[in-house]
Amino acid sequence: MDTILEISNLSKNFGSVQALKNVSLKIKEKEFYGLLGPNGAGKTTTINIISTVLEPDTGNVFINNFNLKKDPVKCKKSIGVVPQEIALYNEFSAYENLMFWGGLYDISTNELKTRIDETLNLLGLKDRGHDKIKSYSGGMKRRINIAAALLHSPKILLMDEPTVGIDPQSRNLIFDVLAILHEKGITIIYTTHYMEEAERLCDRIGIIDHGEIIAEGTLDELRLSHNADESIIFTFSNLSDVKLNQVEEKFHNNIMGSNENSITFSTKNSNKDMPLIISGLGETGLEISNIEIQRANLETIFLNLTGRKLRD
Amino acid sequence: MFKIAIKDLKLISKDKRALILTLALPIALISLFAFAFGGAGGSNDAHPISIFVSDMDSTNTSIDITTKLDTLKSLNIKQLPFQVAKNEVVKGSRVAVLVFYKGFGDSVENGNAPSMELFYDQSRQIESGILRQILYSNLIGMIGQKSIKKNINKMIDESYPDLSQSMLESIHKRVEEQLNRYEDSDNNPVSSSIGLKTTPVFARQEDSNLGLVQAVAGTAIMMLLFTVTGMGAGILHEKEEGTLKKLLCSPIRPNTILFGKMIATIVVSVLQLTVMFVFTWIVFGLDIFIDIPSLVLMIFATAFACAGFGNFIASIAKSRKQVESYSTLIILVMSAIGGSMIPIFIMPAIMQKIAIVSVNYWAIQGFYDIFWRHLPILDVSVRAAVLFGIGLLMIIISVRNFKRNILSIA
Repeated sequence: MDTILEISNLSKNFGSVQALKNVSLKIKEKEFYGLLGPNGAGKTTTINIISTVLEPDTGNVFINNFNLKKDPVKCKKSIGVVPQEIALYNEFSAYENLMFWGGLYDISTNELKTRIDETLNLLGLKDRGHDKIKSYSGGMKRRINIAAALLHSPKILLMDEPTVGIDPQSRNLIFDVLAILHEKGITIIYTTHYMEEAERLCDRIGIIDHGEIIAEGTLDELRLSHNADESIIFTFSNLSDVKLNQVEEKFHNNIMGSNENSITFSTKNSNKDMPLIISGLGETGLEISNIEIQRANLETIFLNLTGRKLRD
Repeated sequence: MFKIAIKDLKLISKDKRALILTLALPIALISLFAFAFGGAGGSNDAHPISIFVSDMDSTNTSIDITTKLDTLKSLNIKQLPFQVAKNEVVKGSRVAVLVFYKGFGDSVENGNAPSMELFYDQSRQIESGILRQILYSNLIGMIGQKSIKKNINKMIDESYPDLSQSMLESIHKRVEEQLNRYEDSDNNPVSSSIGLKTTPVFARQEDSNLGLVQAVAGTAIMMLLFTVTGMGAGILHEKEEGTLKKLLCSPIRPNTILFGKMIATIVVSVLQLTVMFVFTWIVFGLDIFIDIPSLVLMIFATAFACAGFGNFIASIAKSRKQVESYSTLIILVMSAIGGSMIPIFIMPAIMQKIAIVSVNYWAIQGFYDIFWRHLPILDVSVRAAVLFGIGLLMIIISVRNFKRNILSIA
């Protein structure tokens, strides 16, 4: 697949704060790319530069083979932007909003109307299309926010934390829509600080922290390359403070956490370490009622990389 | 309860700009009205009233009287040929023109009604009223005394031909003394006998009312400024709501966004002014059809200038809250000095000079030109051109400010 978005050595300062430090990325056509990082890591700054809202201090951006500095309008036509904010006019209906946002691109009125109907249908809001946005729930507004970015059939969809503050039902619906768009071949760049979303949706993930890409690859590649730990959660029927102290004395380097009836262990290799842990627990007289193995995830990878949790 | 009050007071004290405006606004308005009503700002003397004198007679008497009038502190005299002076009065540059016709000197010497006339701008009722009082009280000393003395002496000479020359001279002297006493008196019984004919420089229309024009133009422009400032703040609203960022992502240029918003503001301004004038026509009977092309020109010029000004205020602010504070202060001050609240002509001279910096002044004067002075479109165009100029300047500054303050998303 060809590269559809290339970023090289992108830097951006806001006063004394260095928001981006020589960020370079290559995103292939039809790829679903996740940009994962905590708040303030530089995700939105990256999206703002790609969507031409911000000018970088240094570096280059090529979108669909157009240089952003030289051909900003052609670049803008190639991208659809779903901002973090609900960028809609509350006093307009969904239909009026979409007519306005779609009308900013060179689309004939009839064609635009057809596309609005299709998009509202895709997002499950055709019946509410003529209701004012102010009567919508947060999740419905988020869906219209996405619809507004799709009307001109962009090659790349930039989504800046599009599921912030919405109910699980709307989030799942948005995930389903994104799966359809991905299947249609739209390149999607998706920023989030929810690791579950990145794990579920993305082909490839870039982890960004303090304005730098600190890791990049598929989830499996990230697991392998960063030697991330797995977790084994033991649940007990007779866990007490005394017994917990005994377990901590035996395994204190391997215990990730505990609650009133369970203890979580970290391990590089659960198959090899499990028998040893079970044997040790047996010596304390604890009765195991359940065992759960959790594979290494983005949270643990981020923890390994930065020493901090993703939402710290 | 007190905790909430203390918290609110702390919040207010942290917003230094709002705090300054809260205190500065009333101070500014108090100062302004004090100046406007003449209660502050230097001496208590009334500002001189500017008039033209047109001396067609050019005799010693007319020259002497012109010179004496020129020494009065209450008058500011400029000599011009009659027609030129009259045209200037029509345009509102001075209150009146005092004309000494050919034969003025002879009529005074012969004790006849003096051949002179005062042509005044009827739209400046208060000034012209004061002017007439000044002229009556001073001309009587210059003309009336000469004329009356001549008449009395003539009557005595004719009635008593047998009196000796020394007796006649003694009587003449006593007459002069008596007249001098009357001249100094407040109850001058001959003040109306100087025969100063007064004429408005244009005919007053039955259906045209100066107060109404002042009320409509003054209020309409002040309200329009508030409207356009609110609309100018729309771009800040878009920034706060996130729609501006999305607009910037679309394939339109930032200038297009700004100009699009300005066009909307101008359209609403034109609509608002039109509705106000139509309302005044229907409800108060103002004849808005006197000069439709001039009215259309002035409405567009005023709308353009106000839109530019509204955008300018929005462009210097960084939030809608700031726009509210700025607009209240700036618009009220500008409306006060520009004649929206009180007519310009009753303000002191210094305020009348300051007034020209306000949009209100040019717009109100333009509407006066149409509805009161009935000037041709060429003269109205001058005011309109100034308004277009103000609007253009404001828009240029606004675009620069918007780019620097508002389009920088981060």
